[in-house]
Amino acid sequence: MGSSLSRVAAVAANTYRETVRERVLYNLVFFALLMMVSGLLMRQLSIRQDEKIIKDIGLAAMDVVGTLIAVFIGVGLVSKEIERRSLYPLLAKPLGRGEFIVGKFAGLGFTLLVNVAVMTAGLYLTLALTGRATDPNLLKAVYGIFLGLLLVVALALLFSTLTSAVIAAVGTAIVVVAGRFSDVIHNMKEVAPGAPSWLAPALYYLLPNFRDFDLKSRVVHFDPVPLSELGWITLYAALYLGFALGLALVAFRSRELV
Amino acid sequence: MGAWRAPEEALYLTGEQIRRLSPGFEDLMADLYWLRTVQYYGFQRIWGGQRYDLLFPLADIVTTLDPRLEIAYHYGAIFLCEARPAGAGDPQAGIALLEKGVRNNPGNWRLRQDLGFFTFTFTGDAQRGAQILMEAARLPGAPFWLETLAAEILHKGGDRETSRRIWRQLYEQSEEGPIKYNALTHLRYLEALDEADALTRLVHAYEEKTGRRPASLDELRAAGVLRRAPVDPAGVPFSYDREAGTVSISRHSELWRPLDTGGER
Repeated sequence: MGSSLSRVAAVAANTYRETVRERVLYNLVFFALLMMVSGLLMRQLSIRQDEKIIKDIGLAAMDVVGTLIAVFIGVGLVSKEIERRSLYPLLAKPLGRGEFIVGKFAGLGFTLLVNVAVMTAGLYLTLALTGRATDPNLLKAVYGIFLGLLLVVALALLFSTLTSAVIAAVGTAIVVVAGRFSDVIHNMKEVAPGAPSWLAPALYYLLPNFRDFDLKSRVVHFDPVPLSELGWITLYAALYLGFALGLALVAFRSRELV
Repeated sequence: MGAWRAPEEALYLTGEQIRRLSPGFEDLMADLYWLRTVQYYGFQRIWGGQRYDLLFPLADIVTTLDPRLEIAYHYGAIFLCEARPAGAGDPQAGIALLEKGVRNNPGNWRLRQDLGFFTFTFTGDAQRGAQILMEAARLPGAPFWLETLAAEILHKGGDRETSRRIWRQLYEQSEEGPIKYNALTHLRYLEALDEADALTRLVHAYEEKTGRRPASLDELRAAGVLRRAPVDPAGVPFSYDREAGTVSISRHSELWRPLDTGGER
């Protein structure tokens, strides 16, 4: 068990080292930080809404940029290893396919954690520059965003085990967008009356409900977000991660690698 | 640029459509549209000939995207209710925006207070204004004086003192910025009305004493009846109608407003 964990940690550490070398990562994080600082320029234009605008832009930038990183780096986690044929010597070692998948997931998850931490620091710094008090509740929204990003990584990894990076990116993007429109799917009858009656509930429960992780508006409006709710979304994320990573493992195991 | 971009935005997409198209980013979209609204108002006021046709649609989009963006209701109502050139001179639209704010935020006494004040000040409906203020007074956190003010509005109706109390309350409640400045302008306007009335009384007293009306207000000053130049709080000389023997705020003053478009009681 101990050695299995160390093998997962070794894959995760390698994945982290690999992903932090990606130039797209720095471009995106820089863009997100730039967006947050741009909130300072909007102070005069917004009529006393600078704090809200900085928070809205900061959290949205974190969400969008994090999702882009998760999709574009996540879809290459397995497929690129197969295309570059660097996977074969790895699997020849005493490394299980499950350990490989979990290690890859943990490596990119850690990269995202570091990025989200940098962007959060940027957001707090921007708010401090406007003389606003530090609002620890923002971290609750950041936590929701991070959980959502982990789900995106798991989905990208699942698609990455099935197909090439480009098709995996398209597939992940479709599922992520559909998950964000979960309320529309729930009310599909109104939008598409001709759809089979089982389709809406099936899609609604199968797709990840990203709306549950979205605490941005509530936190910005100073609504209370109880810790129990954070517990529930953590449980939901854990179950869905288990489901998506389990599917990724099944797909990866069934894949003939020659 | 703002002249054509705003119609594109306001006419092609409704707030509800934008809300549905931006799940998870509704607040950000509300901020962007709020910035657009402020820019539109500023542009139209300075360069657009004070035409504010899209002010209400834009404010409606903002408040549909973020129904709790209190400032959009406050400023939107002021921009809409105030007489031209400061605003659109459309009190009904401003009041409709505040009514939407009250519907979306039933526990917010400030929005209900604004609705009561604006209903009374801009439409002259003292009964309805007082009723709304009474409702606001019953909400948690509402100040104790709201109930007294509601009673005062109901009993005195279009009394100038009641108006002064309302604008003083708004002035004291507001932070530095356009809302405070707007309340201050109203207070200065009321002060100018008081001064114009006092000058009219002096004209009548002078006429009684000398048997003739003064040719100008300067004549009152030369006769020692007036101690200082007859100027309003904005520093502009008052207008004097010799025929009627009345003094009023000059049309050249920033405090002048047409009585038929939201004029003060």
